[in-house]
Amino acid sequence: MGKIHTKKLFVKALNKKFGKDFDLAGKSADYAPFKEQGVLQNARKREFIEWSKKLEGKRGISMYNPYLHAGGIPMGQRQIVPYKLSTTEYIVEGDDLHFVNNPAMQQMWDDIRRTVIVGLDMAHEVLEKRLGKEVTPETINNYLEILNHAMPGAAVVQEHMVETHPGLVDDCNVRMFTGDDDLADEIDSQYLININELFPEEQAEEIKAAMGKTSWQAIHIPTIVSRTCDGGTTSRWSAMQLSMTFIDAYNMCAGEAAVADLAFAAKHAAVIQMGDMLPARRARGPNEPGGISFGFLADMVQTSRTKPYDPPQVSLNVVAAGTMLYDQIWLGSYMSGGVGFTQYATAAYTNDVLDDFSYYGSDYGVDKYGGWGEAPATLETAKDLATETTLYAMEQYEAFPTLLEDHFGGSQRSGIMAAASGVSTGCLTGNSQAALSAWYLSHLIHKEGWGRMGFFGYDLQDQCGPTNVFSYQGDEGNPLEIRGPNYPNYAMNVGHQGEYAGISSAAHAGRGDAFTLNPLIKVCFANPALLFTWDDIRKGFGMGGAREFRAAGERSLVMPAV
Amino acid sequence: MAYEPQYYPGSTSVGVNRRKHMSGDLEKLRDISDADIVTIMGHRAPGADYPSTHPPLAEMGEPDCPIRQIVEPTPGAAAGDRIRYSQFADSMYNAPSIPYWRSYWAAINCRGCDPGTLSGRQIVEAREREIEEYTKVQMDTEMYCPALSSMRGCTVHGHSLRLDEDGIMFDMLARCEVGGDGNVSYSKDQVGIPLDQKINVGKAMSEDEAAKRTTIFRYDNVAFGGTADKRDFDEGLVALHHMWERRSKWGFRPE
Repeated sequence: MGKIHTKKLFVKALNKKFGKDFDLAGKSADYAPFKEQGVLQNARKREFIEWSKKLEGKRGISMYNPYLHAGGIPMGQRQIVPYKLSTTEYIVEGDDLHFVNNPAMQQMWDDIRRTVIVGLDMAHEVLEKRLGKEVTPETINNYLEILNHAMPGAAVVQEHMVETHPGLVDDCNVRMFTGDDDLADEIDSQYLININELFPEEQAEEIKAAMGKTSWQAIHIPTIVSRTCDGGTTSRWSAMQLSMTFIDAYNMCAGEAAVADLAFAAKHAAVIQMGDMLPARRARGPNEPGGISFGFLADMVQTSRTKPYDPPQVSLNVVAAGTMLYDQIWLGSYMSGGVGFTQYATAAYTNDVLDDFSYYGSDYGVDKYGGWGEAPATLETAKDLATETTLYAMEQYEAFPTLLEDHFGGSQRSGIMAAASGVSTGCLTGNSQAALSAWYLSHLIHKEGWGRMGFFGYDLQDQCGPTNVFSYQGDEGNPLEIRGPNYPNYAMNVGHQGEYAGISSAAHAGRGDAFTLNPLIKVCFANPALLFTWDDIRKGFGMGGAREFRAAGERSLVMPAV
Repeated sequence: MAYEPQYYPGSTSVGVNRRKHMSGDLEKLRDISDADIVTIMGHRAPGADYPSTHPPLAEMGEPDCPIRQIVEPTPGAAAGDRIRYSQFADSMYNAPSIPYWRSYWAAINCRGCDPGTLSGRQIVEAREREIEEYTKVQMDTEMYCPALSSMRGCTVHGHSLRLDEDGIMFDMLARCEVGGDGNVSYSKDQVGIPLDQKINVGKAMSEDEAAKRTTIFRYDNVAFGGTADKRDFDEGLVALHHMWERRSKWGFRPE
């Protein structure tokens, strides 16, 4: 056995939560002091009570009253502890991590929903071959200037049209990117996502090789539009403005049939949606969370280009993005409701617990197998890493009762231990199927050791899951990267989907890949004009919780002051 | 030769205890009266008739069905009882039973029941007269410790929390309390409705006894995989590895 990681990263967070002189290893507690305070021990709950009282007069109907809970016994019979966003210094209340209270979380999702990628080459072929127009870097720059006027909701070609207020849609922008360095050199820098500048050299070369000399537009429509409509709107809004812009930029006839070709390219033939449409029983249009594959989400997160030397960190940021999007927003609100899902998800990105377990497994693996991506992608490796990581994690929960108390639900613990096992195995083998195999084994070890796991439905997929690893036929498995929230066994279970995205990214981060599934998405979300902190997901959530993040989609400009 | 089920591997106390729970070979430690069990469950008043949801099966004129001819209904089903439940929370600090083993016990030993397994609680549902019987078994035997186990229909939070200073598992609704004589009493039923009189369920297990009777592996009692400094796999873990490997290799290749 190699070097054993003993950093116990979560201890610092627990000290901040419970107090620095607190006995974190004590097995018994005097909860009595908190019985007298209940919810009033917590500043955020006091704020909620105060606001509710203020609003009740105005509303004419009752509202928030924590004393209705459990027959008059309020929450707070024990200490209500805050949360530290992992690897950051942000400490926020649990309430601050519900997406309703956290504008950064909302913006993360808005940034996805309002994005489509549309190819330029097909449109240029129509212009050149069918209409005999000349397409040059100069005409492209002119087109992009008009497009950045039109895409937020301004008129071109037609007179006397209504338009949107720039102050409400200033987050909207369109930049292009290309694998053709010669063309990129000719594009006005304000309209270019510069692959060579934004990515480490090797990653830039890998991405350009993957996309060839093709050219693409990263289109982010106004947040306020996608919030008012839905994800399916994004390609439609964008296609209309693209078509109008082509007409203007290339002096086309507004009604000629070639416009239909441009519109068809923008709406169908050359568009990449962030998420696929879902079947009727979960009916949503494209660009909604349930259709976003794990590989696509992994590519949206940008830690892979800013910290390529730290594969676990790359993966943990994808886990954070995924648990927030898939658990809190998709399952927690689109598919279900309420607040419980937030509690599950926070375990994956707070208090440095998943970080500690993942780095432990990774350190163990690097020491044993030699380095990232160097372990054989076999069941033996998965067994070794999952067993060691899970047993370590179980021991920490047992040795630190405050840690066990922090992750008070079995599905939190199961997801965290299995994610650490999957992340470690992914980083070490560079293979997402080996990593997924480790994920499933971890759940089984947890269940067998403690005689408990998650809850009815949670346990099901993990107990039968080992049957669909190392299996690539569509009905027997699929590579993890192209599975998604609508994969049959994954469709209704909290505490899994974000972790799967993280495990997908771990395999590629371990290999040193520039992207997980789609290079175009990786480049699109490198756009510096995106509002959310795509290179540091946990920091963004912390900023949102600390009320330091200003999101787009605000309407206060056109409303009376509160 | 009669078949003897082999329920669980391992010669540790945890392995032995798990086999005992699964086989129903449980040591009786206390005798809580039927009336007290029914009161804590809170579904009907002790002595009251069993409410029914359908007429007795014998009066219903059931269809000619081979399954019905093979399976004899439980007394509760025959009488048309409601389906009711009891649910237990078990502390991770060496409570004698744990959710999956409560479920295994119920599924193997209790006719006509529906066990449900979660991390912090375990529910068994059955016809009312049967669930009362099954609940009494759980509370009277070594499956139960008055401090480390608790019948909780709702607001179950506590299994993973530090114990209260008096050694009782945390309960937001404070259903149980320890008396001056060391006996634990229920002052509320399983959903937290106050009782007219406290119900004494006996003394808590000592730490040593709980460690001896528990079915949970812990690094500081019977370890499942040794410790980070020294790995030593329990037979249960070795068997689990075997099962996981077979499931992975032949999940889609049943040949």
